[in-house]
Amino acid sequence: MDKKTVTTIAYLSRIALDEDNEDKITTDLENIIKFVDQLDNANVDGVEPLTNPLEKKAQTREDKVTAENRKEIFLDRSPKSNEDYFLVPRVVE
Amino acid sequence: MSIQYKSIKDLNNMLLNKEISYKELISETFALIESKKNLNAFITLNKDAAIEKAVLLDRKKNKSILAGIPIAQKDLFCTKDLRTTCGSNMLSTFIPPYSATVISNLENAGCISVGKTNMDEFAMGSSNETSFYGNVENPWGTNLVPGGSSGGSASAVASGIVPAATGTDTGGSIRQPASLCGITGLKPTYGRISRWGMIAFASSLDQAGPMARTAEDCGILLNEMCSHDIKDTTSLNEHIPDFTENINQPIKGMKIGIVKEFDLSKLDNEVVKVFEESKKYYESLGAEFIEISLPNISLSVPTYYVVAPAECSSNLSRFDGVKFGKRCENPKNLEDLYIRTRSEGFGDEVKRRILIGSYVLSAGFYDAYYKKAQQVRRLIKNDFDEAFLKVDVLMSPTTRGAAFEAGSKGSDPIQMYLEDLFTIPANLAGLPALSIPNGFVDSKPIGLQLIGNFLEESKLLQFAHSFQQITDFHLKTPSGENI
Amino acid sequence: MSWETVIGLEIHVQLSTNSKLFSGGSTGFGAEPNTHVDLIDMGLPGVLPVANREAFYKAIRFGLATNAEINQTSSFDRKNYFYPDLPKGYQITQMAMPIVGKGFIKIDVDGSEKIINITRAHLEEDAGKSIHDLFDGETGVDLNRAGTPLLEIVSEPEISNAKEAVAYFKAVRQLVTFLDICDGNMAQGSMRCDVNVSIKKQEDEKLGTRAEIKNINSFKFIERAINFEIERQIRIIESGESVVQETRLYDSVKNETRSMRSKEEANDYRYFPCPDLLPVVISDNEFNDIKNNLPELPDEKEKRYISEANLEEAEAKIISSSKTMANMFEDACSKTDDSKLVANWLVGDVSALLNKDNIDIEESKLSSNNFATLIERISDKTISGKIAKSVLEEVWESGHDVDNIIKDKGLVQIQDESVLEEIAQKIINDNPSQVGAYKGGKDKLFGFFVGQVMKETQGKANPKSVNDILKNLLDS
Repeated sequence: MDKKTVTTIAYLSRIALDEDNEDKITTDLENIIKFVDQLDNANVDGVEPLTNPLEKKAQTREDKVTAENRKEIFLDRSPKSNEDYFLVPRVVE
Repeated sequence: MSIQYKSIKDLNNMLLNKEISYKELISETFALIESKKNLNAFITLNKDAAIEKAVLLDRKKNKSILAGIPIAQKDLFCTKDLRTTCGSNMLSTFIPPYSATVISNLENAGCISVGKTNMDEFAMGSSNETSFYGNVENPWGTNLVPGGSSGGSASAVASGIVPAATGTDTGGSIRQPASLCGITGLKPTYGRISRWGMIAFASSLDQAGPMARTAEDCGILLNEMCSHDIKDTTSLNEHIPDFTENINQPIKGMKIGIVKEFDLSKLDNEVVKVFEESKKYYESLGAEFIEISLPNISLSVPTYYVVAPAECSSNLSRFDGVKFGKRCENPKNLEDLYIRTRSEGFGDEVKRRILIGSYVLSAGFYDAYYKKAQQVRRLIKNDFDEAFLKVDVLMSPTTRGAAFEAGSKGSDPIQMYLEDLFTIPANLAGLPALSIPNGFVDSKPIGLQLIGNFLEESKLLQFAHSFQQITDFHLKTPSGENI
Repeated sequence: MSWETVIGLEIHVQLSTNSKLFSGGSTGFGAEPNTHVDLIDMGLPGVLPVANREAFYKAIRFGLATNAEINQTSSFDRKNYFYPDLPKGYQITQMAMPIVGKGFIKIDVDGSEKIINITRAHLEEDAGKSIHDLFDGETGVDLNRAGTPLLEIVSEPEISNAKEAVAYFKAVRQLVTFLDICDGNMAQGSMRCDVNVSIKKQEDEKLGTRAEIKNINSFKFIERAINFEIERQIRIIESGESVVQETRLYDSVKNETRSMRSKEEANDYRYFPCPDLLPVVISDNEFNDIKNNLPELPDEKEKRYISEANLEEAEAKIISSSKTMANMFEDACSKTDDSKLVANWLVGDVSALLNKDNIDIEESKLSSNNFATLIERISDKTISGKIAKSVLEEVWESGHDVDNIIKDKGLVQIQDESVLEEIAQKIINDNPSQVGAYKGGKDKLFGFFVGQVMKETQGKANPKSVNDILKNLLDS
C-alpha cells in the first residue's frame, strides 16, 4: 500500500498519522487487505449483495412533529457552545 | 445467605420467600462488586438509583420474575443521565439524554441496572484488551482475558456478582466471552431486539443479547429484551413467543448438523476431545448428527472484516468533537479539531478498523471489496438456508480454545480476528446462536456453540437446556464450589 | 471562435412536510436556533432514522408531473464527509435507487418552448446551518435545518445559456408550488441550486471541463453567475490554459465566482447502502392514490379558467402562472358569480401594484382571505369600485383587514336611495345656475352634479344610484 493511499485514507477518516504509528498502521493495513483478498476466489456472478439480513421493506412514519425542544440539554452537554449555538473554530469557505 | 453465583430463578425464589429483601439483595451486589474490583468489570456504577429502586420494590407486591434482579448493562447501551462510554476515551464524558429500548424494557420488567460494564472499545475486540478503562480480568485466572467485546459483562456474571448481564454481539462478542468465562450467552435473530440506543458498530451485524448462568435465565431475559420498536426500522415485527415455554421439551429425534468445513483437526486435541464428548451427551438425549456442508463458510472472516469496518468507519464519523463527547484542547482550526479529537479519542484497534473501512469503501475499491463481500455474504446466508432444510441446529465449538493470557496475541491484528472463526457466520446471516459451557481445557472453561434457524431461539434454548439438565459444567465456579 | 455553453442544474427543493425526512423534528422556518432538533437530528450515538412517508408522496407527485419513471422501491445510501453542520458525518441520500428517474419539463424562453430532460430526482436530508459571522473566530452551528427533506432534481446538461437556466429554474419552481410540495420561497432557502457550466467550441463533440457553482438561490444571481463563469472560462481557454474541474461560490457583491478552498481528497464520498434503512416500497394503492389526487397544474388551470370562468387567454395565463394568484382567484370566485370582476382586479390593480413594488405576489401583504373579502364587498355593493381601489392600496401597505378598514374609515357605500335623493336635491337647490345651464343644453354639466354628490358623500354614494337619481331629478 503506497504512502499516498494511506495518507489519503487517513485524511478521509480525519485520523492523524505520525512518525510513531505511520509505519505500523501501513503494515497492519497491508496485512489486513492481503487477508481479505481471499474474497477474490469467490464466484459471485449474478449474486445480489446482501445489505441487511432482513429481507423486508422499511416501515415508514407518518408526517407528524413529535420532537420535544431539548435545546438546553443538547447545548449544555456539548463540548463548546453558547446559549444558542454549538461552537467550532471559524470555518472559512 | 450469599447471593454470589445465584441464578435469576434462585434469586427470585429467595425474594419471594423473603429470605432476602430487595434492598439487601442490591446492597450485597454492590458489596460483591467492590470486593471484586480487581476484575475491572465495571466502568460506571449506578448505586444510588439502584438502591432507591430496590427500596421501592420492598414496599410493593411484586409478581414478575425479574423484579428486583440486579443486572449489569454493557456500556454500549445508552442509559439516560448515566454516563455511557463504549469503553472509549471519546465518550468518557458522554451523558445520554435518553435510554436504549432494551434498557427500558428490562427496567420496566423490574430489573435493577447496577452499573455499566467494561468492554472492548466500541465493541471492537475479542479480549477486552482495547478498553480505554483498562483490561478486564477473567475470574478463572488473573492474567486471563475474559474474551470480548462483552468482557465486563461476562466477567461480572462468571464471578457471581450478578446473575445476568446484557451484551452485544457483532461477530461473536457475546458468545466468545461466554465461552471463555464458562457462562451462557445468546445472540438472537437479527432484528429481535431493538437497536435504538445501542451505539452502532456495524449496523447490519449488531445485536444485543442476554448473558447468564443458565439457558433458562437467558430465555427469561430474552422475553423482556425483545420487542418490536417503531424507532428501529430494522426491528422485526414478528410474534414474540415465551422463549422458555418449550424449554423442557425433549430433543429426541431432532437433528444436529456438524459443519464439514469447520476443520476441527486444526484445533488443540483437548478442545476436540471436549467437543466430541458433548456430541455423546447429545446422542444420549436422542439427537441425530448429520454432516452439513457450508461451502462458502471459509470466507466468513474476510467477509466480516470488510463489512464490519466499512459500516463502522461511517458510524463512527459522528464522533467529531462538535456536539457531544470529547473535544481536543484548543483546536487551531476545524481540521485540527477533527483530526486531533479523533486521534486522541480513539484507540489503535478502532483506528485500524476505521481506516480499513474507509479504504474498502473508497472510489476504485468499492466493487472489489465492499460489494464483493456483500455478495459473498449472501452466498453464506444461502448456505445456511439450505442447511436448515436438513437439520434443526448446527453445532460447533464456540472458540478455538480456552482463555489466553492478556497480551499474548501480540500485535498482529489478524491473530485476534481469527478468534471469531466460528462465531462470525451467524452474524453475517443474521441467525440466532448461543454458547453454553461444555467442558474444561487446562482447568479453563470452554463453550459449545449452537446456531439456529431464523427466529428459532426457543429451539436453541431447548437444546441448551437439555444439555444443562444432564451436565454440570454451567454450575462450576472459579472459586471451586459447584452451585 | 464560436463558443457553446453547456449547462446543467441541480436544484435542491425543500419539501413542505411538517416533520423531517428521518425524524419527528419540525421543519418550520425561522425558529430559535437548535429548538427543532430531535435526538435523531443530533446524530447522537445509538439513534436510528425512520423514513417519512409524506416525503415520498411529494417526490412521486413531482415524478408524475414530469412524466418520469417512478421507482416504487427505492433505497438510501450514505454520502460520507465531515462538516460541522452535518451531524452524523454522513448525509443520507439516494444514489443507487432514486425515487424518481428520467423525466422532462417544458420551459418557455421569450415565447419559444424547449424541453429540458431531467436525469433523476432523489430524496436526501438537508444539513444544518453554519453561521460564520456572528462570533469572533468561531462558527456557530444551528441544527434546526438538519434532516429537512430535500428533493434533488438533476437536469441533463441541455441548457444553453443563462436565460434558459433561469427559465428552467422558474418552471421547476412553478411546478413544485403547484404540486404543493414546496412553498417556493427562495428568500428562505426553500429552493437552491448548483449550476454546472462548461464551454466548448461549436465543432467539438466532447464536452469541456465543467465548474460547479454551488448554492445559488435567486433568479438574478443564477443569470449573473452563469454569465460571469462563461466569460471566465472563455478567457482561460483563449489564454491557452485549461479550466479546472472544481467547486466555486458566487459572490453577489463582487459579481464573480470564486474557487472554494477544499482539498481534492475530500471529494471521495465513499457511497454505500445505508444499513439502517431497508428499501422503502410504495404500494400500488398508495401510488394510485397520489396519481388520482394530483393537484391541478398551470396548463390545466389555464384551460379551465378559459372554459369555465370565461376568461380571456391572456388573463387566464397570468392568473394560472402563480399558485398564489391562482388560489387567490379561486378563493375570491367563491364569493361572487362574477369571475370577470375577480380577473380584472388581479390582472389590473393587483398586478399594477406588484409591478410598482417589483415584488411577487407571495411577498405582498395581500392575503387570499383579504382579497376575497374585498371582492365580496364590491359584489355585495358595500363599497364601490372606486372606494375599493383605495381600500386595496391601504391593504397593500398595511396588510390590515378589509372589513376593519371599511369600518374604521367609514367607507360603507351609501345605498339608501332616500338619503341620496335628499343629497341630490340639496345639490340641485344649491346650484341653480348650473341647473339652468344643464337644462339649457350643456349636457356635460351632468358630471358636475354627480361630482358634487360624490363630494358631499365623500365618494361613498353608489355611483349608479346617483346617476339614476340625478337623471330623474334633472330630466323631469
